[in-house]
Amino acid sequence: MTDIVQVRGLVKRFGELVAVDNVEFTIAEGETFGLLGPNGAGKTTTISMISCLLEPTEGEIIVDGHSIRNEQTAVKRTLGVVPQEIALYPMLSAAENLAFWGRMYGLSGTGLKKAVDEALELAGLADRSKERIEKYSGGMRRRINIAAGILHKPKVLLMDEPTVGIDPQSRNHILETVKNLNSSGMTVLYTSHYMEEVEYLCDRIAIMDHGKIIAMGTLNELRDVVGGMDVISVIVGEVSDGIITAVNAIEGVEGVNRANGVIEVLTPSSSSVLGRLVATLESEGAHVTSVTVIEPNLESVFLRLTGKSLRD
Amino acid sequence: MTRLLHIAVKDMKILLRDKAAFLIMLGMPLVLIFILGSALSGVGESENVDIPVAIVSVDAGDQGAPFAEAIADVEELQAVFNIEVLDDVELVRSKVEKGDLTAVLVIPVGFTEALAAGEPIELEVLQDPGSEMTAGIWVGVARAAAANLSAGQIVRITVENTLARAGIPQSPVTFQQGDTGGDIAFDAVSVKQLDVEPEKQVEMIDYYAAGQTGLFLLFGAMFGAFGFARERRERTFARILASPATTMDLVGGKSLGILGVACAQFLVLYLGTTLLFGVDWGPTPSGILLVGFAEAWAATGLAMTLSVLGKTERAIGGIGPTVIMLFAALGGSMIPVDMMPAWMLPLQSVSPVYWAMGAFLDLMRGEAFSVVLMPVGILLGIGAVLFTFGLWRLRYE
Repeated sequence: MTDIVQVRGLVKRFGELVAVDNVEFTIAEGETFGLLGPNGAGKTTTISMISCLLEPTEGEIIVDGHSIRNEQTAVKRTLGVVPQEIALYPMLSAAENLAFWGRMYGLSGTGLKKAVDEALELAGLADRSKERIEKYSGGMRRRINIAAGILHKPKVLLMDEPTVGIDPQSRNHILETVKNLNSSGMTVLYTSHYMEEVEYLCDRIAIMDHGKIIAMGTLNELRDVVGGMDVISVIVGEVSDGIITAVNAIEGVEGVNRANGVIEVLTPSSSSVLGRLVATLESEGAHVTSVTVIEPNLESVFLRLTGKSLRD
Repeated sequence: MTRLLHIAVKDMKILLRDKAAFLIMLGMPLVLIFILGSALSGVGESENVDIPVAIVSVDAGDQGAPFAEAIADVEELQAVFNIEVLDDVELVRSKVEKGDLTAVLVIPVGFTEALAAGEPIELEVLQDPGSEMTAGIWVGVARAAAANLSAGQIVRITVENTLARAGIPQSPVTFQQGDTGGDIAFDAVSVKQLDVEPEKQVEMIDYYAAGQTGLFLLFGAMFGAFGFARERRERTFARILASPATTMDLVGGKSLGILGVACAQFLVLYLGTTLLFGVDWGPTPSGILLVGFAEAWAATGLAMTLSVLGKTERAIGGIGPTVIMLFAALGGSMIPVDMMPAWMLPLQSVSPVYWAMGAFLDLMRGEAFSVVLMPVGILLGIGAVLFTFGLWRLRYE
């Protein structure tokens, strides 16, 4: 398969801040590619440069053979963009919103009407198409937000954290929609800080932190980064520096992270470490209320690579 | 280009659905025009019990001034008229034009010589046609004075001739009170009645229709600026720019939307005030529409500037009304500009309301279409400057 998106040596600086630092990746046609990272990792800035909203400080982006440097209109025609924010007009109905965004992509007449109807069906909101968006729930707005990005049937769909702040039902609907779009041949670039979504949707994943890609590959390739290590998550209430030092000293512990009363311990053998971990915590005066063992996943990869949690 | 139009139509649709905006842009001006116009309808209208008139003598001889004083001293006339005796024809003509005087009796140059020679004398009365009835009374007074003067002239000439024939020396003849009374008619002195072309008096409701329309078109601009801030906040700007639409489509579309809404707002206020309150916008609707369009363009430019002066709707909501009310106050939409101190006058020229109101009022007074060309040009210029500044500083993020 050909690479429909090529990102090379991408850098974006805002004054002294380097928001994106020498990022490189390619996305094959028909692939779902995930950008995973915590808030502020540089995912949105990267997507903004691909969608021609921000000019790169350095580097090049080629979309379907067109450079964002001098063929922006051709690039924009190829892309569908679903922004993190619900970028719709609350005073307009769902159908009016979709018709407007369709017109922005050059649709008109019966083609536009057909596209709007299909997008409404896809969003599962055909029966409420005449209601103003302001009356919709957050999840319904999110679905229309996605529908507005796909009604012109783009070759590449850029989705920036499309499930932020919505109910589980709408979230599942959106994830299924993305799966179906990808099955129909649409290339998808999906950013999220929810590892479960990226694990579920993406063929390949790039993990970003502080503007850099720190790991990239398929889910299995990334799991290998942690060498099959487990994460033991312990809820302990208050966590002192003394507790962290004591846990780090336990044999078999490869890494420790703490956040909001939770200690996350990276270990190749959770069964051998678990008993000593709980005993150490008790002896240090920590009150253990919950212990969870997590199999190797992107969370543990991130913890392994950065020493912190995706939620930090 | 079609994307530009779609953006404009979308903006107009959104603004028309905004009840608060609708109320402020159309409801408030109509209510204010009605309240202010009705409450102040009596202000500035003349009282009929004390009609302001004047007598002007431009005669260089010794008979003109005494004749004027003699008329002014008649008690019966003083009961009806407030009589001024002046000597500057241009001054009184200006006062008649402004409506400060209802009529003026002019004693002409050469009055004394003509009187002495027994030649016909033509007195002139300048009058405000808008006060035809009261001015007519003053013309009647002038005719009576002329008649008595004619009679006196016959008597004087006859006496002088008789005395001369008898060889008796003559004493100087001067006018006394009573010389202007009586009912003797003679054609030696005639009264020529002249209509001055005065400015048509604008009723208070008309004045406030012009003023509030000028003011509230700018409030429409504020809602246009809100649209920019809202699109930045909701990231629809970014989404439009991520589509094949260009920045020209975006800015052009939004500006066209604001201009379209402002023009529609003006038309509704123009027709609404005419039909609901009987406002007389004058005999030149094409001029009124041109001024309305020019101010709508100035409002569009103001919207662009406001959208960059305040990044959020809240900031624009603070800056916008301040700027607009300042423009309105300087422009005369609250109180007439000629009541303002002189130091304020240069500031007025930056106010779109000043130029729009001035042009509206000129047309209401019956001035020709050409009188609005300069204010229209200035309004278009103000709009262009504000638009360019806004475009220069505009940020889409």
